[in-house]
Amino acid sequence: MNVTATLFGQMITFIVFVWFIKAYLWEPLTDAMESRTKKISDGLAAAEQGQKKIEQATIEFSTRIDEAKSKATNIITDAESKSKTIVEDARLSAREEAQKIAKTSAQQLEQEVNAAREKLKSDVAALSLLCAEKIISKEVDKNMHNQIINEVINK
Amino acid sequence: MDNKSPATDSPVEYIQHHLTPLSAGEGFWQINIDTMFFSMLLAGIVMFIAYRVGKNISSGAPTGMQNVLESLMDFVNSLVKEAFPKPNKIVGPIGLTIFIWVLLMNAMDLIPVDLLPKLADMAGIHYLKVVPTTDPHTTFAMSLSIFLLCIYYNVKIKGFGGYMKSFMVHPFGIYLAPVNFVLTLVEELAKPLSLALRLFGNMFTGELVFLLIALLPWYIIPIPGSLWAIFHILVITLQAFIFMVLTIMYISMASEESH
Repeated sequence: MNVTATLFGQMITFIVFVWFIKAYLWEPLTDAMESRTKKISDGLAAAEQGQKKIEQATIEFSTRIDEAKSKATNIITDAESKSKTIVEDARLSAREEAQKIAKTSAQQLEQEVNAAREKLKSDVAALSLLCAEKIISKEVDKNMHNQIINEVINK
Repeated sequence: MDNKSPATDSPVEYIQHHLTPLSAGEGFWQINIDTMFFSMLLAGIVMFIAYRVGKNISSGAPTGMQNVLESLMDFVNSLVKEAFPKPNKIVGPIGLTIFIWVLLMNAMDLIPVDLLPKLADMAGIHYLKVVPTTDPHTTFAMSLSIFLLCIYYNVKIKGFGGYMKSFMVHPFGIYLAPVNFVLTLVEELAKPLSLALRLFGNMFTGELVFLLIALLPWYIIPIPGSLWAIFHILVITLQAFIFMVLTIMYISMASEESH
């Protein structure tokens, strides 16, 4: 081999070729691959974060549900006890009312009975007086008859 | 030379004819037109593809040619990262370029030996060497460019004095400086020389074997021809790979801080 123009021509071709590949293929492709690597790692990180968030949300969700459940049971027990007291109160007041009514009606009855008795007494007295007058008009022994009348009345 | 008679009639002439490059000019200005043409054609095709891929690069999921080039790049990059402790911007592209270029130039060997020369003969061109790597000009052009780059890195990293000093003290210490100088000089010069001659030798002998096979009777040719071609696929790839790896190794050795 001699040192010829071919050698230098090939060297120039080679150098231009290397420069071209470096400028138009290697560097943009390297950049693209790097940015892809970054994108992928970012995506993976985001996915991991999402997973964590889901886990947290699940935990929060279950605690919320537990809270709600306990609140609901509290409310139900409260309501039950309240309703019991209300029913009890109603029963008591009804009983009292009934007793009151019974008492007043008994008193009224007694009063009426007494009044009737008084009236009966006076009626009977008047009637007996009438009877006495009639008897007197026939028999004079007033004293003896009076005694009999009083005995009747007192009965 | 108009080779109308069958090749077997004058085998020496046939082979010599095939190994004569199409050249113009004399002495220094001798230009091997076929070598230049085919190497530049292949380089041009690769540059065209590279330009198109490079223009439409997507950082999303790669497709088609970008995929191929990316895996090639990864392959070269892994070799470069193995050899270089710190990142180097130029070695990767050089390795990739060498691999692709040498591979394609070698692959010209797989085109039937007589096809392109016969076609050229019909077109009035009587000499044609199709495989650029069977021309030592091509292989030396690459190895010398790399050699110059190695010298540049040596001087850049070690300084001119440091570079000269490495000639004096390696491998026997400063007391045998003249011996060291000769040994290191031989060692350094052997690098581009072996690099270029290895590729040239392999491809030249490969081509020669194809030519010898072509001299056989036509009914025998297919068997050794296809066997040699299949084997040659391995040689082609291997030589391209070796050239690239050695290039990376030489440049990495040149850019080491000290031996």
